[in-house]
Amino acid sequence: MRSILMALASSAATLMAQFPTQYVPVTPSSQGDLAGVWVVRGSTNLPDDLPYRPEALKLWQERKAEIAKNNSKDDPAAYCLPNGVVRVTSLPYKIVQTPLLVVLLSEGNTHSFRRFFLDGRAHNLDLEPNSWTGDSIGKWEGSTLVVDTIGFNDRTWLDDTGKPHSDQLHVVERYRRPEAGRLIVDYTIEDPKFLTKPYTFSRTFVPANREIQERFCTEQNHLVAK
Amino acid sequence: MADGKPDFSGIWNGQRALPNQAPPLMLPWAEKLTAERTNNYSADDPEARCLPGGVPRAAPYHYQLVQTPKLLLMLFEGNIHTYRQIFLDRAEHLKITEPLWYGDSIGTWDEDTLVVDTVGFNDKFWFDMAGHPHTTQLHVIERYYRRDFGNLEIGITIEDPGTYTKPWTIQRVSTLETGIEMSEYVCNENNSDVLHLVGK
Repeated sequence: MRSILMALASSAATLMAQFPTQYVPVTPSSQGDLAGVWVVRGSTNLPDDLPYRPEALKLWQERKAEIAKNNSKDDPAAYCLPNGVVRVTSLPYKIVQTPLLVVLLSEGNTHSFRRFFLDGRAHNLDLEPNSWTGDSIGKWEGSTLVVDTIGFNDRTWLDDTGKPHSDQLHVVERYRRPEAGRLIVDYTIEDPKFLTKPYTFSRTFVPANREIQERFCTEQNHLVAK
Repeated sequence: MADGKPDFSGIWNGQRALPNQAPPLMLPWAEKLTAERTNNYSADDPEARCLPGGVPRAAPYHYQLVQTPKLLLMLFEGNIHTYRQIFLDRAEHLKITEPLWYGDSIGTWDEDTLVVDTVGFNDKFWFDMAGHPHTTQLHVIERYYRRDFGNLEIGITIEDPGTYTKPWTIQRVSTLETGIEMSEYVCNENNSDVLHLVGK
């Protein structure tokens, strides 16, 4: 027991050294403050143990076979189409936070944005039942921002390895900032058409220590008609 | 805003030009290029190829302004679903090594008007479908004034001694959109413009 406690204490000390304890800023209304420019630490890809149904697994394997042949013909990002919500790039993201709206700006991919509506509205898919980034509504649970997104098309990939999803995708993201220098996003993915049960994983983001830069996929891409 | 500044946050309808003066005389190279672009049915317009419209080109789509004390963020519905940042927390322009589609924009308050100064542009975008060009010497000053709840007045002064014989100012207005949410406009999805853009 004692050795376990000591091990815990020592790993906490390691973490403290890695992320110096600074105060975690809060906005005047005591919500968490997620604002900043963040970059993924570690792999951008999901773990490979998604509980896929057989037909979804087959689709993923077909895509992986094309990728192995260095053929990106199936990859929406290769055509400068949006990554959607789950797939991220290794380039920075900026969070702009206001009380009723949080905006996530992406430097890479399509250099576009997602909006999290915090004004208490319900999901509304009248305008676009199936979009690339879905309809995102958020609420604060203490200092954690919980973002619920539905209304997807089935064209985005969940990561660079081509993991598929259906239009039944439902993503819940929990944004929390345990220290000033660390943003953790816990994802829960539900997709009754493609997954046998909900799947959860987490990503850690750290400060990019720079402003996001202008970068337009279409300008650099040979697969987009010019 | 809590700091007493006007808040421009909201979804606005595309900027509508008021009766405006025409651009001033262009230098001969620009005169020639504009004529070529127009005569070629604007076939080479970057905007139709899902590239940014730059400044001050206004797309006929909604845009959303998100304002914090440090930043005015423009979220564009189209032509491409991208954003422009106007920094309210620094007085000096960045040193631009790589020219930009939206340049480097800094904003300062002149009473209730936000004055946005932008330099650092590339020379790739067109001002309009006619193909009015510019050089990297372009300097744009925009004055945003929310006249009342529903109207945002925008005065735009354009200076580019590499292209135009003198600066000029145009006036636009945007009305507040209270009924419609912005859609997700994805230009690269089924962009059929390119096939139809056939020059001479």
